[in-house]
Amino acid sequence: MTRVLPAAHLLRAWAVLAVGVAVLVGSLYGVGGNLPSLLLAHWLTVVVFVIAIVVGELLRLRMPSGRSAAPLASASALALVFLGRIDGEPVFDVPAGFVVLVVAAALLVPSAIRVSRGGAVGLELVAARVVGVAVAAGVARGFAPTSRSLWALEVERAVSAWAVALGMVAVAAVGISVELVLSAAVRSESQRTPWLAALRDEFGEAAPLTFAVVASGPMVALMAPVLGLLSLPVALFPLAITYVAVDRYVQNRVTYRQTIATLSHLTEHGGYTPAGHAERVADLSLRIGRVLGLADRELRDLEYAALLHDLGQISLIEPIPAGATVLAAPADQRDIADEGARIIRHVEGLDTVADYVEAQTTPYRQVRELGEEVPMASRIIKVANAFDDLTGGTDDAAQVRVANERIHLGLGYQYDPEVVEALAVATSDTTVGRVEERQPVGR
Amino acid sequence: MTTEGSPLPGGAPRRVAYTTNLYVGGVAAVGLCLTAAAIRIDGITVDATLGVVLLLAVLSMLLGSVESEGGRTLVSLSAIVMLAAMALVGPAGAGIVGMLVGPFDAGRAPLRARIFNSGMFAIMGVVGGCAYVVAGGRPGETPWPRGTSQIAFEIGIPLLVADVVQFAVNLVLLALVVRLAVGVSMRTQVGQIATSSGPAQIGYGIIAFIMVVLWGPARLGSASVFLILPPLLAAQWAYRQYAEERKGHDRALEVLVAAVEAKAPHLIGHSTRVAELSASMAEHLGLRAQAVADARVAGMLHDLGLTTLPTGMVRSTGVLGGRGLRGYPARGVRLLTGLSFLAGALDAIGHHRDAVTPTTGTPAEFSIPTMVVGLADEYDLLTEVGTPDGVLIPKEDALALLRRTPAGRDSLLRALEHALSLRAEVSS
Repeated sequence: MTRVLPAAHLLRAWAVLAVGVAVLVGSLYGVGGNLPSLLLAHWLTVVVFVIAIVVGELLRLRMPSGRSAAPLASASALALVFLGRIDGEPVFDVPAGFVVLVVAAALLVPSAIRVSRGGAVGLELVAARVVGVAVAAGVARGFAPTSRSLWALEVERAVSAWAVALGMVAVAAVGISVELVLSAAVRSESQRTPWLAALRDEFGEAAPLTFAVVASGPMVALMAPVLGLLSLPVALFPLAITYVAVDRYVQNRVTYRQTIATLSHLTEHGGYTPAGHAERVADLSLRIGRVLGLADRELRDLEYAALLHDLGQISLIEPIPAGATVLAAPADQRDIADEGARIIRHVEGLDTVADYVEAQTTPYRQVRELGEEVPMASRIIKVANAFDDLTGGTDDAAQVRVANERIHLGLGYQYDPEVVEALAVATSDTTVGRVEERQPVGR
Repeated sequence: MTTEGSPLPGGAPRRVAYTTNLYVGGVAAVGLCLTAAAIRIDGITVDATLGVVLLLAVLSMLLGSVESEGGRTLVSLSAIVMLAAMALVGPAGAGIVGMLVGPFDAGRAPLRARIFNSGMFAIMGVVGGCAYVVAGGRPGETPWPRGTSQIAFEIGIPLLVADVVQFAVNLVLLALVVRLAVGVSMRTQVGQIATSSGPAQIGYGIIAFIMVVLWGPARLGSASVFLILPPLLAAQWAYRQYAEERKGHDRALEVLVAAVEAKAPHLIGHSTRVAELSASMAEHLGLRAQAVADARVAGMLHDLGLTTLPTGMVRSTGVLGGRGLRGYPARGVRLLTGLSFLAGALDAIGHHRDAVTPTTGTPAEFSIPTMVVGLADEYDLLTEVGTPDGVLIPKEDALALLRRTPAGRDSLLRALEHALSLRAEVSS
């Protein structure tokens, strides 16, 4: 189903969308009747930058955490914010609102393409980006503490170039930060994950990439006076290299996960565990992990450990009934977990995953009473595994209720109450903790 | 340039060591003399620009370069700094930068390689710097060119020419040293290096161009460094992440093998041996690099299907002629079908048993990698794993048995014997 507007109950999403619309209306009002003449005067500049932003948007990167980034589009938009003199073109002397309108128009083109292909578009995320650009443009072109704005200082060469560059980088950083804070707010609301964790993902996961964007935008504007519009493709070249490198990294992460998933199929094809059990436990564990605000690296290891949690059954002589470890004797459960961890430990570098697998059977009581250290990931897998064993993988409401009840009976004794609470949140609504459109769109 | 610094192999045969040393000494001396001559003839202005460029050279030494599979350099800061030095401070400055960054370019390298690289980089710097001037560049001279066409003709094209010239110098000097030390022909060397690092070299040229334009015409001076560094460091970061994930992925394949061995403890070590034998045979048969890799991974995972069979059956029945185990290769294929990077290995995994099972009718056609894996597997089972009651048969008898199978062709058996003798050599 094509989704354009956020669901009715998502207040933050609507708020961000409202701010975005207000910014657009304000920009239109500010530019007013000058719009046609500005477009006519700067048509080549506008066309070149719109193309760059559209292409950059279509080349989105989906980061491992599920958030996506369009570094080339973001840098192009920032470049437009600071653009002043351009060799061979009139000086880009336009109000901040004009920049906002051009960027917004350019951002909406790929969204329209996506909708026409039946893809989902978060208009609230587009709004977050427009607001970020508006803040940067407003500060650079409108804010004048010393009677001249940063843009005026740049064009009039009133101060040395390095001071202007420093100012541009600072303003770009502010603009990007506003965008990231807003999109973290929107995303954490729709996935019901902690805002702080979302914020940490937005800023932390691809921090080097963000720095690169913040530096690349000003670089275009600083080269334009001597190199003209050619400065856009030239100055974005280093960022393009980065883009390729990040893309390779992300693609490799996908094949890595496929290989781990294959391992989880070993016990399924052998009839030891029900088909799809490992994938379902991994999916549920990930969602619970997101609700609890785990970091990217932890989530990755959690996902792998959840996929492999039954690997130890492979050397059982007789399969246990339907592979449901929750019904097996505690000692047998432990043996299976130990054997799985032993196999995984054969391999250097997957120690954390092995630890998670090993500790998944430890009852929560031992954490509470004996102060035993059990990783959060293991507690999550224990709960998710029990849930899937009890429901048999259906999302039939009655089964889910029975499973939740049975897990509640073991609350505090078998299961960590915090995790069980997150499970209740995750099973109440299928969108919780789920990253939308896992497949990159437009490629 | 730094794209390919040479970590000279330590164990070169004695008879060539003398000429190699002479050559290395010669290159170092020429590099030193050329730089000195450039300083004398062209002069060098000791100013802030020179200072910052040298500082950058030191910085690039500290940051190092990122290498990917096959030791290819992906992002080399020193390469960029040296190119920028040609345009900012001229041939003499570029020579000094080269001498400075050269020794550190190849990472951990023996002293001899460091001396060689220092000389080579100095030569590249001076020659490249001269090419820049000849092509119409005016290093460090104000007023800087303005406007698209002027910048293209007075910075862009000269930088491109300098880039190509210094890369050519790099190729020749490097190919010569490898020829002397290892004996690989120069033509192969030049071809290999040019195709592997040619594109990156052009990339360095573009980045150096950005740096020079920001530094000079855009009046940023040394502050340009702070703008150009973040994207480069980000690229470096991403490649490091990639390399780490790559390693993790290779390890995940090992977990698959560990799962086979947990299921069938009598097969411990078998998968690895078959993988090595298969790869070695495929190499001897002259297969493409990808086919060799496919044969290796197929050898590694050929028994994966066993993991889906009942444990008791796998442990009590030998793979050799075990009736109950017949279907396991197909099971292995079914497990691995979704993995795109294993597509080339599936045929060998699925049919390796058929390739060594004698038939009475017309033998089916098998691909070379399938037969290679089949032979390697069967040979290892006969001579190393044995029947469930532990009966092993000697090498000659095993080869005689293999000769009667569909895959028992002369060329393949010769490859097997060659691989076995190589293995014996390595282990002794």
